[in-house]
Amino acid sequence: MNYSLTKTDIEKETQKGVLVTAWKRLVPLMTEEKRPVIISIIAILASSAVALAVPIIVARIVDVYIVGKNFHGVLMFSGLLAGIFIVGLFSNYIQIRTMGGVGRRLLFNLRSKIFVKLQELPVAFFNQNKAGDLISRINNDTDKLNQFFSQALMQFMSNIFLIIGTAIFIVFINFWLGIIALIPAVVALITTQLLNAWVKKTSLKSLQTLGAMSAEIQESINNFKVIVAFNRLDYFRNKFKEANQTNYSASVSAGIASNVFNPIYVLASTLAQLVVLAYGIYLISLGHFTVGLLIGFLLYVNNFYSPLRQLASVWSSLQLALAGLDRISEVLALESNVKILPKENETAETFSDHPTAILEFKNVSFGYVDGTDVLKNINFTLDKGKTYALVGPTGGGKTTTASLMARLYDPSKGVVYLEGKDIRFYEPNERVKKIGFILQEPFLFNGTVRENILYGNGDYDHFTNDELAKMLEKANLTKLLERFSDGLDTKIVSSGDAISLGQKQLIAFIRATLRSPDILILDEATANIDTVTEQLLGEIIDGLPAKTTKVIIAHRLNTIANADEIYFVNAGKITLAGSMQHAVQMLLHGKRKS
Amino acid sequence: MKDNNRQHSAPSLFGLLRNYTGLIILLAVLTVIANGLSISVPKIISGAIDNYAKGNFVILNLIIEFSIIAVLIFVFTYLQNIVQVYASEKVARDLRNEISAKISVQPYAYIEKATPAKLLTNLTSDVDAVKTFVSMAVSSIISSVFIIIGVAVLLLITNWKLAIAVLVIMPFIGGAFFFILKKVRKLFIKSQEAIDWLNKVISESILGLALIRLLNSQNHEDKKFLSANTEAKKVSLEILGLFSSLIPVITFFTNIAMLTIVLLGGSFVISGSMTLGSFTAFSSYLAILIFPIIILGFVSNLIAQAEASYGRILNVLSAPVEKQSGSLKANLKGDVEVKNVSVCFADKWALKDVSFAVKAGSKTAIIGPTAAGKTQLLYLLTGLLEPTEGEILFDNVNVNDYNKESLHGQVGFVFQDSAMFNLTLRENIAFSNTVKDADIEKAIDTAELKDFVEALPEKLDTIISERGTSLSGGQKQRIMLARALALNPKILLLDDFTSRVDANTEKNILLNIEKNYPHLTLISVTQKISSIEHYNQIILLMEGELLAKGTHKQLMKTSPEYVQIFDSQRSTNELELSAEKL
Repeated sequence: MNYSLTKTDIEKETQKGVLVTAWKRLVPLMTEEKRPVIISIIAILASSAVALAVPIIVARIVDVYIVGKNFHGVLMFSGLLAGIFIVGLFSNYIQIRTMGGVGRRLLFNLRSKIFVKLQELPVAFFNQNKAGDLISRINNDTDKLNQFFSQALMQFMSNIFLIIGTAIFIVFINFWLGIIALIPAVVALITTQLLNAWVKKTSLKSLQTLGAMSAEIQESINNFKVIVAFNRLDYFRNKFKEANQTNYSASVSAGIASNVFNPIYVLASTLAQLVVLAYGIYLISLGHFTVGLLIGFLLYVNNFYSPLRQLASVWSSLQLALAGLDRISEVLALESNVKILPKENETAETFSDHPTAILEFKNVSFGYVDGTDVLKNINFTLDKGKTYALVGPTGGGKTTTASLMARLYDPSKGVVYLEGKDIRFYEPNERVKKIGFILQEPFLFNGTVRENILYGNGDYDHFTNDELAKMLEKANLTKLLERFSDGLDTKIVSSGDAISLGQKQLIAFIRATLRSPDILILDEATANIDTVTEQLLGEIIDGLPAKTTKVIIAHRLNTIANADEIYFVNAGKITLAGSMQHAVQMLLHGKRKS
Repeated sequence: MKDNNRQHSAPSLFGLLRNYTGLIILLAVLTVIANGLSISVPKIISGAIDNYAKGNFVILNLIIEFSIIAVLIFVFTYLQNIVQVYASEKVARDLRNEISAKISVQPYAYIEKATPAKLLTNLTSDVDAVKTFVSMAVSSIISSVFIIIGVAVLLLITNWKLAIAVLVIMPFIGGAFFFILKKVRKLFIKSQEAIDWLNKVISESILGLALIRLLNSQNHEDKKFLSANTEAKKVSLEILGLFSSLIPVITFFTNIAMLTIVLLGGSFVISGSMTLGSFTAFSSYLAILIFPIIILGFVSNLIAQAEASYGRILNVLSAPVEKQSGSLKANLKGDVEVKNVSVCFADKWALKDVSFAVKAGSKTAIIGPTAAGKTQLLYLLTGLLEPTEGEILFDNVNVNDYNKESLHGQVGFVFQDSAMFNLTLRENIAFSNTVKDADIEKAIDTAELKDFVEALPEKLDTIISERGTSLSGGQKQRIMLARALALNPKILLLDDFTSRVDANTEKNILLNIEKNYPHLTLISVTQKISSIEHYNQIILLMEGELLAKGTHKQLMKTSPEYVQIFDSQRSTNELELSAEKL
């Protein structure tokens, strides 16, 4: 399956009305937020009503009481105004508070959703995508949505209310004057529609370059010591500069595009005031209109256009949010291709002919993305309690074979049987209990030795250190723990050098054996451990329950000296080597074919 | 870089803008023109109404005047927006370059201490906050302040008594800003720390992805992410709590001003001390005044956020650079001496008083159990690590006296853990475009990579995936060897190089090195005695101490620990010998 996120179809939905698209895509995000959204809508309505009422009242005060020189009336209506302002104060507060909360929770939920999705996706996904870009999607793209929801959306909604309300009012006050006042807005709206595609495209591009830059940073910082030791700081600084420059150019283009709306609406607003003034004075001269009404009308025109202007500046953040949502949806839409098959689908095919075997490969082929097959039509059977060794030149397919055993990948052809049943039918926790896999490159989390040993192992979580020590003693692991100065409480900084690769491998070893799996796979798991300690590990492995099947991949021959059977893995083929001597001979004299 | 002389003493955002004075002035001028034109509109309207009342109103003049202003407003507003985008992106770009330049002169230990997750936040989210400040806050502040002052002046000209009554609200608004901003700064710092935390969890979950899937511990990771995410949400809700009251309160104050106009202005008009046109102008100006004040309220959020982020960036920029590299550029002969060197990590000794010398062109092996300090010893030789005590000498000169670039160019290091870049294979080996093709060729041949390269679809121009996920452990290790050899080094440091390469390949590679790089000084950390028996010197390390040194023969006689290691490998040796005979 192709998991690459780099190719995106920018053009796909720019043709549809933006508002319709936005509505369709953004509303589902808010389904759990009905109550706060309704509350904010009520608050927005109240604030909008306040904003609408004020000019009417002011116009009335001017026309009736000030022109009529009635100060008492002025006082009365001022009291009304004061009351309305207090309503405005509270409705404003409620609106900002609740809508801001909606944005924050949405950010929280989206972030969690993507992260959970990433956890569901198989190893193959991560082979095709960059860590930095994924981090950028989780942190930056979601934040664009948050910004839209907490700042822009409420402006958007309240402004739309204001705009529609005011539009109705002005048309109602004087039909033709109202229509004339609205014409510039219509022209501006049409222009907006025409420019949308451009803005969306540049916004998406700028988010993409941000992701690329983040990937660049992630890679350089995590490999910093290599860059230092090889004195290639300049080279990477330049590469970063390039990514930075690309992001800069893309962002400038996006900025120029998204900033085009504001001036257009400013222009529309100014022109509207001009036509209203000119036509209004003409109407007054005809005696169809009053000065007070014109002043009020101009206020309304202002009330119509300034939210429209704000809408224009919010418009670009809507575009950015939609672009961010696109990038998020790309990840969310992916499905793992390493799926658990449902029980109902079990057939005779599901079960192997060797029910007693712990593991069986039947006609298995496998290739990474669009490359050639790494494994070609592999068949072998592993029996319970035996020790197997996989040897062969580098790049021959040993790690791939082991990864298929643990179902990190599914074969492209053929079936892997675990205890006689197609491995794809096992629930993950069931499968994981049976298989222990010590990876070639051990990974430790920041924390303590204890946390790392117990990682992913719920059985011993509640144990005190003393109880755990007893468990370790029972499993013969105590001697290994002695290699850590503070025992279980030794601090671990996973990227640091205070802990050696050999020590990391020891922890990975303890972690896997403590789980007492049915199959223990060691993929060059002791490669960086000294031979004396390795002998100790050998004793520990020999001490595992008799039913434990061991699969050992190693270059050091003493590691595999006790194997019951040795498989020679080369150029995608697996052959039984027979005796140890035969295996060594193949290894020393066999030509590598790639 | 021109930025070297920048003063970092005052962590002020506005200090940052000093380097962009030209742009900021241009932005200010454009903003002022655009806004000046905007606020002239009500003046024209009230003039037209008054003219009409007086009976000398000419419609054509109004239309011409108004149209010109409308077009000018359009042009200047767009220009202002463009300059603002340009300025903010430029500031962000330069800041990023400056941070990356600073990071790149820092020692490796600094990166470890600062943590990659935080540096990533610094370069992305923190810079973004500063960028938003420049793009939205700067011109908003300029235009707001300009409009507020301009409107205030116009109000005063129109009717000073009423103006003063209206402007009394200003100190209240200022007070509200000050109060909120003071409280919110800490929260913004907390919020960026929450982002660091998120970055760390995500990054760990990606680097440890295979393990997580093997142990089916996705739930556990989800929980870790959830706590970081919850913290981020909590802080941002606290921030929201503070800011959600700011804008309504400010709006309320300006509404009070409206009330003042109606009451006081109304009574002035009634008493005849003010014209109706002036009254209208007053209410229009107030409508204009509300907008910039609300904008300031909104912008104060951005300022607080940017200040917190800029403070974090300055922490990176102002971190002292530990030591300047020396100036000596010499061609190394290859003598190495380690003199009474000790290394201490958090009061634990990784190496204790280690001394030995290596002659140019000789071969030295370092052997010892896990966590003996072998890797640290190699790190010392490359300058990745500074000794706590003692010194390292190359050709009898202290390592610190050498120009780092010149030294790194002559010392090749093959790391134990693989580090692959999402670049072409050629770039992964050469790391730059300056290495000669012939050198790459030789390095590839020596590392036995020729067959591998030939089999690749694009040969040397094949792009390696991030973290080298498509390569086997042995392939990565050999690529790293080729990377070190492509330097044509005088000294080659191998850290457990043979661990992931099969015996046959290993043997060929070592022969190739002897053949192709005959005068190389080799220092090799290894586990395997059989391949180092003929070395000039073997150093046995255990728990940070040098236990024994000498040739294989000497150590077999004098060091029981060495003999123990040898015995642990004997069965293998016999196997290999017998297989060779077959």
